[in-house]
Amino acid sequence: MTALGRRAPALTGALSWLTSPKTLEGLRLQAFLVPIGIVFAVLFAIPLAQSLYFSVTDFNGYSLDVNFVGLENYRKIFTDPSMLAGLGFTLLYAIGTTVIVTVLAIPLAVLLNKRFFGRNVVRAVFFFPAIPSIAILGLVWGFILSPLGSGAINWLLDAVGGFGPVPWLSDGTLAQLSVIVVAVWSSTGWHAILYLAYLQSIPGDYYEAARVDGASPRQSFFRITLPLLAPAITVSSLLLMTGGLKVYDLPYTLTKGGPGYATFTITQSIIQSGIAQAKFGQASALAVVFMLVVGAIVAVQLVLSRRLEDRVS
Amino acid sequence: MSLRRMSLPRTKSLLTSSVAVLAAAALTLTGCGSGSGDGGGKTKLSFFSWEDEATMKPLIEAFEKKNPSIDVEFSHAPPVAEYIAALQTRLVSGTGADVFVIAAENKTNLVQGGFVKDLTGKPFMANMSKFNTETWSVDGKAYGMSISSWSAGILYNKDLLTKAGVTEFPAKWDDFMALCQKLKSAGITPYMESVTGMPLTVAALVGHENARQGGDVDAQIFAGQKKFGDLWNGPLTTYNQLFTSGVMSKDVVGLKGEQVVDEFANGRVAMIAAGPWDVTTLREKAPKMNMVFAGVPTPDGKPFWGGAASPGWAINAKTEHEKEAEAFLTFLGSKEGVTLFNQKTAAMTTTSDVTPVIDKVLEPNLQALKDGNFYLPQVAWPRVQDALNTEAVAQLQLMVQGQAKPADVAAALDNRLAQG
Repeated sequence: MTALGRRAPALTGALSWLTSPKTLEGLRLQAFLVPIGIVFAVLFAIPLAQSLYFSVTDFNGYSLDVNFVGLENYRKIFTDPSMLAGLGFTLLYAIGTTVIVTVLAIPLAVLLNKRFFGRNVVRAVFFFPAIPSIAILGLVWGFILSPLGSGAINWLLDAVGGFGPVPWLSDGTLAQLSVIVVAVWSSTGWHAILYLAYLQSIPGDYYEAARVDGASPRQSFFRITLPLLAPAITVSSLLLMTGGLKVYDLPYTLTKGGPGYATFTITQSIIQSGIAQAKFGQASALAVVFMLVVGAIVAVQLVLSRRLEDRVS
Repeated sequence: MSLRRMSLPRTKSLLTSSVAVLAAAALTLTGCGSGSGDGGGKTKLSFFSWEDEATMKPLIEAFEKKNPSIDVEFSHAPPVAEYIAALQTRLVSGTGADVFVIAAENKTNLVQGGFVKDLTGKPFMANMSKFNTETWSVDGKAYGMSISSWSAGILYNKDLLTKAGVTEFPAKWDDFMALCQKLKSAGITPYMESVTGMPLTVAALVGHENARQGGDVDAQIFAGQKKFGDLWNGPLTTYNQLFTSGVMSKDVVGLKGEQVVDEFANGRVAMIAAGPWDVTTLREKAPKMNMVFAGVPTPDGKPFWGGAASPGWAINAKTEHEKEAEAFLTFLGSKEGVTLFNQKTAAMTTTSDVTPVIDKVLEPNLQALKDGNFYLPQVAWPRVQDALNTEAVAQLQLMVQGQAKPADVAAALDNRLAQG
């Protein structure tokens, strides 16, 4: 038998596998992944590769004659006090908003899940802050939190209690607090609606059985509601944490990163260095480091959330 | 660290194609094309402006009427950061407009990158003010045509000052402080200026000190012959008196410019640092207010102003329509073009053959421009403008809050300059 003759059955076998209905069905299904694959490549993989490349060059966004500078850009970002300050507030903001929104959104969702007159209107009211652009909210809250006596909150404090004005946006610590409070205000309703969707999937029989067994509402909440909301907590906290780490618009419109660098964020630093200061290389290095930090935080968060889910399920 | 050249053709190709993708995205944002090809027998001249369409339309229409063979393709992005970013991606991907705006924030990069044509000696530049042309020049070569300037000082409510017994606005800083104390004693908030950007009061005081030291201190700082402290320590110590004496509230670090203007419009503050852009708003909000502009008082009694030449129009070095681009700049700098621009923007134009029509309250500002008594650090700095400005504002905020001394601000600027 010739070599060709020996290979013929193998080729036939491969061809029949390729044309089998099962393989074709598999390929057809795989084809549905092509569009998202392209989107992933264009919006994530290619920019990521570019950022990695730019981070070791002195590309300034204008000249195409770029020089390899090794890890110089990475050295610069770790010695820049403004970037370190930016990292500090970004972490505070991300962790602060994640914890506070989660703590507020779950009880709010439980409340909105109860039957009462005007429930839909109340749900809409709580959801509303998530609709306007954060930049617009920042501008409006800038007037509400104005440190002057004519600011809305200070005026109210003076009218009701006769004290103030409180330097909401002109004191470093209060400015950080104000930014976080506005973020919590704008996000809590949205996340409450997310929890509400999960709450509505909990069978009423569980509560019925608990009531028959004499469980108090508190016990029902901690033994039934909260454990069954664990997957929702994972999703919500992941969204809050990633969104918080990438925050830019709210602190920028409220305080422009000040006073000093009190509310300066990493994203503001990346945008400022890359665009306004034509330091694409340095901004890319910061973006790469930031991506790794975000990846690590989110990975830890996911592991902890999954463990929590396993424990309570 | 040693630098290794990487200007290989493949590297360039990768960069060019990747930036082209970004540019395409930027174009969708600006909602316009930048092509400069020929169509319908007319030459298409692309123009990327940071003035909006409503402002530039009458000028473009008048130009097209005079030049029927040229069709101006207008595109726009708002100043400053958005415009700079859009222009940057368009230029580096080879899709830059034929005519665009050169500003303090991109001047160095545009010139060093060879993106702008040398306009020195062009006939249309003859009409421009020497100061404006020098602002957009590098090494004696002009790269931008600027037809207007602005100056900003202290805007005061004359009625409130009269109420406190003040009849003449002081020129000396000590007298100004005394005036502020007098107003404060009368229960009137004396002076307010937002410190979320470079304060105009600081710009004016530093400008005055720069003029006192010969007018080229910034050049010496950037040449390594002087430190920022040599120029800034004195003016910052003077400025800081506003806060150490309690004349100005420390809350100004958390106030936006429009909030300060609101306070002034409602008669809650007697004086604010303001520019021509605030006048229109104030005329609407407080039409009956008797307001007057004055220069910032200085220690030796020679008032100074914050101010600069407005951004210039530049011609793309790679334009295929140089003749048409020059014709467009010729029109923009002509009597007709400048008059139209002044009508649309109320800008203080500085060309030799047009007397701008301005609000009466701005007459002292115009005089300051004529006298050359104005300064803006961001424009005076030859490079690293944005990084220095960001650092200066952050450090000034700390100084206002009592967490930094004037010398700390100057030292931080030296450090930032050293970082490049």
